[in-house]
Amino acid sequence: MSLRDWPIKQKLTAMLVVISGLVLLLTSAGFAGYQYWSLRQATRDALSVRGRIIAANSTASLAFSNDADARELLSALRADQHIVAAVLYDKDGHVFAAYPGDVAGHAVPAAPGPDGYRFEGGLLIGFQPVQEAGSQRLGTLYLASDLEAVYDTFRLSGVIGLAVLAVALLAAYLLSRVLQGTISQPILALAETAKAVSTRQDYSVRASKLGEDELGALTDAFNQMLGRIEDQNRALRESQEELKRYATDLERRVEERTHELQERNESLRRNAAELLAANTELDAFAYSVSHDLRAPLRSIDGFSQILLEDYAARLDEAGRESLHRVRAASQRMGTLIDDLLKLARVTRAEIRTEVVDLSGMARDIAAELRRATPERQVEFAIAPGLKARGDARLLRVALDNLLRNSWKYTAKQPGPRVEFGSVEANGGQAFMVRDNGAGFDMKYADKLFGVFQRLHSAAEFEGTGVGLATVRRIINRHGGRIWAEGAVDQGATFYFTL
Amino acid sequence: MALLRVTAALLLVCAARLGAQAARASEAQVKAVFLFNFAQFVDWPPEAVPDSQAPLIIGILGGDPFGDFLDATVRGEHRGARPFVVHRYQRVEDITRCDILFISRSAGDRPEEILPRLKNRPILTVSDADGFAERGGMIRFVTDRSRIRLQINPEAAEAAHLTISSKLLRVAEVITPTGR
Repeated sequence: MSLRDWPIKQKLTAMLVVISGLVLLLTSAGFAGYQYWSLRQATRDALSVRGRIIAANSTASLAFSNDADARELLSALRADQHIVAAVLYDKDGHVFAAYPGDVAGHAVPAAPGPDGYRFEGGLLIGFQPVQEAGSQRLGTLYLASDLEAVYDTFRLSGVIGLAVLAVALLAAYLLSRVLQGTISQPILALAETAKAVSTRQDYSVRASKLGEDELGALTDAFNQMLGRIEDQNRALRESQEELKRYATDLERRVEERTHELQERNESLRRNAAELLAANTELDAFAYSVSHDLRAPLRSIDGFSQILLEDYAARLDEAGRESLHRVRAASQRMGTLIDDLLKLARVTRAEIRTEVVDLSGMARDIAAELRRATPERQVEFAIAPGLKARGDARLLRVALDNLLRNSWKYTAKQPGPRVEFGSVEANGGQAFMVRDNGAGFDMKYADKLFGVFQRLHSAAEFEGTGVGLATVRRIINRHGGRIWAEGAVDQGATFYFTL
Repeated sequence: MALLRVTAALLLVCAARLGAQAARASEAQVKAVFLFNFAQFVDWPPEAVPDSQAPLIIGILGGDPFGDFLDATVRGEHRGARPFVVHRYQRVEDITRCDILFISRSAGDRPEEILPRLKNRPILTVSDADGFAERGGMIRFVTDRSRIRLQINPEAAEAAHLTISSKLLRVAEVITPTGR
């Protein structure tokens, strides 16, 4: 566990113990340093005093070459176990007397060094001049002392210091365990409250305040915050419930509406299917009827013609006239049947989509119309470059019907004019065929495209009433729409989209 | 052959004499240093010191056994501000002011005659004559197996108002003629 993860109690205790331990250690180290230094000083001073005394006492021995006396003098050093060697040199620097008797064990300088006391090689050594007051130098005293005395004292104070350190650290530890509570207790109480809030989502709990310090202020702020959260929570819950109610209501309504729509859809689908079946049946019926009607019709026409050619002489004028009418009627009926078959084919044909040049197609149809009836002078205005995607064959039929229609209804107009172009309608392109012919009354506009629906009599304008129905069928099969505008004697405009 | 033996004997004798001379020279040298060193362990009464720079006189009564040694030893030396001086006397009467007096064997054969005449004068009397200390002399050099030992008679020194350092007494044999 890293230090930052320690509980705050342990952190505080550890901090206090570490600080007091460090202070104690530094103090002890300083004191130990001072003690070591002063012990060495004291030892040196003591040795120098001893050296001076021995030197003063050994003057006569040196002066009068009494080495026995000198040895006796030095042997008194036996009382100090720390003195490892002592030597008296005469004034020429020769060894005069030595302690202990056998100093060979210790390396004794063969000749005196410079005067003074110093630490050398783990020993305290000293060279003390020997002279009677104010007189010439008689020799030199050498003393060597080990530092065991220093080390013993130092060791002892080290042990005492460690004991004191241990006791002080223990005391610091015990004290800090008691004192850290004043800081950690409020924090722990706060932490406990925060935990209760986060685990149980219970914003009604409050941290207990233990004092008026910053932690007390923190506790107050925390409690205030909890209060505000509680209020907000309540408001939130209320609005949530309201929302939920709305949502439920909405859901229910959507469900109802969906159900309704489904039902309606279902019935529509049923209707459409029924309609489709009926239509298909009707188409099949119309086709077969038309087809089957042609044979007897040909017979009627054929035999009427034979009657007119072979028996014209035996008939009077009225009879011939009747036969002409029979023929005209049967021919009209043939055209009618052809148109009906065309319409049925349009319904059945398969659509092959390609890009179709409508302008070119319109020009071709116009040329064809002029060829068929060269005596008529009709002005064509065909916009260039109009193209559309669709079945070329069917579109040709549609455009042919529309242009032929216009051509037909402008027959009684002094300056007939037919226009093919495109306009903008409902955000898309719509094609348009306009003429200045007979026009129609707008109240019959929805009848224009019905089969056999005619606004003019055949005497006025010949026609079967199938053309526009065919056009609408084609446009519808392309997914487009067709409509017309017009007024009586004001011309008509047919619009279609693809 | 006989000649050879005589020559050898002569040579031996010569060698012996030479060795003795060397020993004597060394002995005289040591004694000269001792004489000089006495000045450091003896205090004279104030009336014996005319002034602080008065020379400290080492006298020799009778034949001088030291040769140049004593002069060489004291040359340039001082006790405090007092320089050392060596005086040689033939007769006791010649002695005017003296601090340390060595009584040579040639003179010291009769210490009983010389010492009374120096009685009560602050002069440290030194000799190597037999029984010198017992007979009223202050310090005697005793030659003991090539070592020079000291015999001191403190009573005699006391009588002359001389103070001999206890250190000096410690390295010497103390003689008390009165048996006190």
